[in-house]
Amino acid sequence: MLLAMTTALLFAALIGLAPAMGPALSPANAQLNGKRELNVPAKLVAETQKVQAGQQVTLAFVMTPKPTWHGYWENPGDAGIGMSFDWTLPDGVTAGTARYPVPDRLLISGIMNYIYEGDYAVLVNLSLPDTIKPGPLPISVKSAWLACTDEVCVPEQDELSITLQVVEQAGGKDAVIAQNDAFNHYRNALPRPLGNPATFMVKDDLFRLSVPVPASLDIETPYFFIKEDGIVDYASPQKVNRDGDRLIIETAARGDALKAISGVLKIGPDTGLSLDASAGDVEMSGVPISTGDDSGNFTDGGGQSNAQFGARSTATLLFIALGGAIIGGLLLNLMPCVFPILSLKAISLAKAGGDEAVVRRDALAYTAGVVLVAAALGGLLLALRASGAAVGWAFQLQDPRIIFVLLALVTAIGFNLAGLFELPNVNFGNRLAQKDGAAGSFWTGALAAFVATPCTGPFMAAALGATIVLPPAAALIIFAGLGVGLALPFLLIAFVPAIRSRLPKPGPWLDGFRKAMAVPMFLTAIGLIWLLGRQIGTDGLALSLIFLLCAALILWWLGGGQAKGLSRGVVSTGALIAAIIGGVLFLPGEDAMDSRKMPNASAATLASEPFSEATLAQLRSDNRPVFAYFTADWCITCKANEAAAIQRQETADAFAAANVAVLMGDWTRADPTISNFLEKHGRAGVPLYLYYAPGKDPVILPQILTVSTLTELVA
Amino acid sequence: MERLLPMACKSITSLVVVAAFGMAMPLAAAQKTGAMAQDFKLTDMYGKTVQLSSFRGKPVVMEWHNPGCPFVAKHYDSGNMQATQSAARKQGVIWLTINSGAKGKQGHMTGMEAQKLFKQQGMKSNYYLLDAKGVVGKAYAARTTPHMYIVDTTGKLVYQGGIDDKPTADKADIKTARNHVSAALTELKAGKNVSVREARPYGCSVKYAN
Repeated sequence: MLLAMTTALLFAALIGLAPAMGPALSPANAQLNGKRELNVPAKLVAETQKVQAGQQVTLAFVMTPKPTWHGYWENPGDAGIGMSFDWTLPDGVTAGTARYPVPDRLLISGIMNYIYEGDYAVLVNLSLPDTIKPGPLPISVKSAWLACTDEVCVPEQDELSITLQVVEQAGGKDAVIAQNDAFNHYRNALPRPLGNPATFMVKDDLFRLSVPVPASLDIETPYFFIKEDGIVDYASPQKVNRDGDRLIIETAARGDALKAISGVLKIGPDTGLSLDASAGDVEMSGVPISTGDDSGNFTDGGGQSNAQFGARSTATLLFIALGGAIIGGLLLNLMPCVFPILSLKAISLAKAGGDEAVVRRDALAYTAGVVLVAAALGGLLLALRASGAAVGWAFQLQDPRIIFVLLALVTAIGFNLAGLFELPNVNFGNRLAQKDGAAGSFWTGALAAFVATPCTGPFMAAALGATIVLPPAAALIIFAGLGVGLALPFLLIAFVPAIRSRLPKPGPWLDGFRKAMAVPMFLTAIGLIWLLGRQIGTDGLALSLIFLLCAALILWWLGGGQAKGLSRGVVSTGALIAAIIGGVLFLPGEDAMDSRKMPNASAATLASEPFSEATLAQLRSDNRPVFAYFTADWCITCKANEAAAIQRQETADAFAAANVAVLMGDWTRADPTISNFLEKHGRAGVPLYLYYAPGKDPVILPQILTVSTLTELVA
Repeated sequence: MERLLPMACKSITSLVVVAAFGMAMPLAAAQKTGAMAQDFKLTDMYGKTVQLSSFRGKPVVMEWHNPGCPFVAKHYDSGNMQATQSAARKQGVIWLTINSGAKGKQGHMTGMEAQKLFKQQGMKSNYYLLDAKGVVGKAYAARTTPHMYIVDTTGKLVYQGGIDDKPTADKADIKTARNHVSAALTELKAGKNVSVREARPYGCSVKYAN
């Protein structure tokens, strides 16, 4: 064998392949094509330099657009052209269809382009006939593509060639495998096939597509790239709804000539699912989710897209989003969680009527409190996002412990308004403003901003969404703008005496008004209780409400003392903190929440180990039976099979009795080892179910599993 | 193709990244094939006002044009577009070449520039219309240069799409391509229905104003 390899190497060197120059790569130099330099140069590389008769080898056209230039997807959109390939191949060798990575969008003056801005690779499989003789295998292809900037287009073409080496099968596996790792990276950029068929409908100039994806799948700014032309109006925004296990996309139609379409559903910056859809009825049911379409001109290619913004457009976006944030903040003042604080504070300011300086100082202190808390929450949000967590505004409401603290706070404010107790510093209007001091106003503002977050309604979503694509400093300005909007009425009252003089004069009615304002506060509390209950269930909820009652009783006791002129502040503050901490500690943590949300997760009935070929080989050599299953969060068939057959007590019992090892390959994120394994088993995607009886060849199980399919394996 | 590059490079220096937040609307609803084509008035390169409906009784071809676009150059440098124009006019067809390139963008033409180019390239259209604001281009959802439309004698839109079925910039492909416009005009002349009523337009995007 050593002799065979040496001979092969020697032979390769003799015919000028110079394999020493680069392992497995023999890039065809694009720059040598004529005199001109290409704007989107192409390089042809092969995954393996050595190939065997009867096998396939993957070639990649590695495209490296110069800055500001882009290349096109197979359906280029409104304008542009996809790539073409004119192969010159040895007899019997055939080239498959090109496979393109998940594209980005670029909307220029209403014309939609489906493009690639960064480097990308288009993959083509070559199939070799069984009869091919060992020796050099010259591959040549004339390829043409369109290179464009936002302004100009240049058709480019190149003649690329590469010479592979056909080797004897006798050389065994070792002779062939010198795989090019870059190909794992290229494959990861390809869309992954969604096994389940989708349905589409064209009616009344609307195109609707219904895609089966599990309800539990996280989807970011989905967008459907259709492969066929003439069906969809590319530049129209796409509305996306989720209805249980279906994702429904609606956009303007251009024609209805086809009975079947295909395309790529992009569900994240680097993730796409390729799908086929046939004509049928599709209703726009379910709940809308936000799409990136407010910002149609952004390509959604993660980091790259930001670089594409001109300074001017960033400024425009910032300006619009800031306006939205300020208006949103202003509207927040009317929300039940904020209105009581604001209205009473405003009236207390009016009382201070005479002293302009004090009023202004208080208003500025209040504004500072609001803006600082809003910016701090925003900063935390950006930091969490930067660390990779998928969080949105009001992210703090995803943690039951923070909800509990908010609930305690809102309840306390409610009781305070109702007159149960008074607060020495933070004051909602029962005393004269002068006595509050600037510090009191500052904390009132801070509180208002924090309490306002659960009420940040959908009208804020667009402005806050913009923070994702803006640089962090600009995003912080938007969060601060939210604060400014929230504080705006206050500033107006303080700085425009005419408004202040219109406010009702304080009097005995104010006490009644203040008590009435406890109602919206308690409504907010009920909203939070509902939210908490959904997250931790009724058992946990009851427990936390008991702690809440304790806190309320302590406040009552504090208030009683205040009425008698006793200071119970220190004791009650301590007791209050203890009650709240108790409530927080007794709440189920996030882990428990996750398992509640996903009863089918691996923590459940049938335990499994992560899949790897090494583990599989080890278990096989130990003569243990192995059940291997491959799944992904976006695969509805997988989830259905897991719920119906795999994660079942009967299955777990039967497998335990037969000492079956369970391996689970999660393909939610493209994993090259799993991709390769699937490909080896002739699958482009998940699900894949395999059973390895000791010492026997593996059995591929059907796509639809039942409990008996699995239990009979080991019976 | 060699002379396109300096042009391309010049344009890059003045490259403006377009990303008007929330303002980039899709093109207005396209004209439906088989429906009445929307009437419009445009000024031609000599300053004359031209109205589509005034040609009722004759078939009208509309051709979207951008002299800087390599795909337009494919059909003009090869003489294919001029030949198609000549043949059409011999059949009594009115040919409108329309430029929707916005001021400052690739291919934008003033009247004077257009007159010069028209002579230079031996263009055979009846009128060269200036649509720098893109109003007519957007009303017809013209997406590429070239993008072709045919209106029949009754004012109905009977074809919209590419000039032919070989979406390349290679002149050599013209010989083997089906020229959709010539074919449709011949069918109209013979009193037949147009067999290919829509085809994918190909070329550069129309350089509309931002």
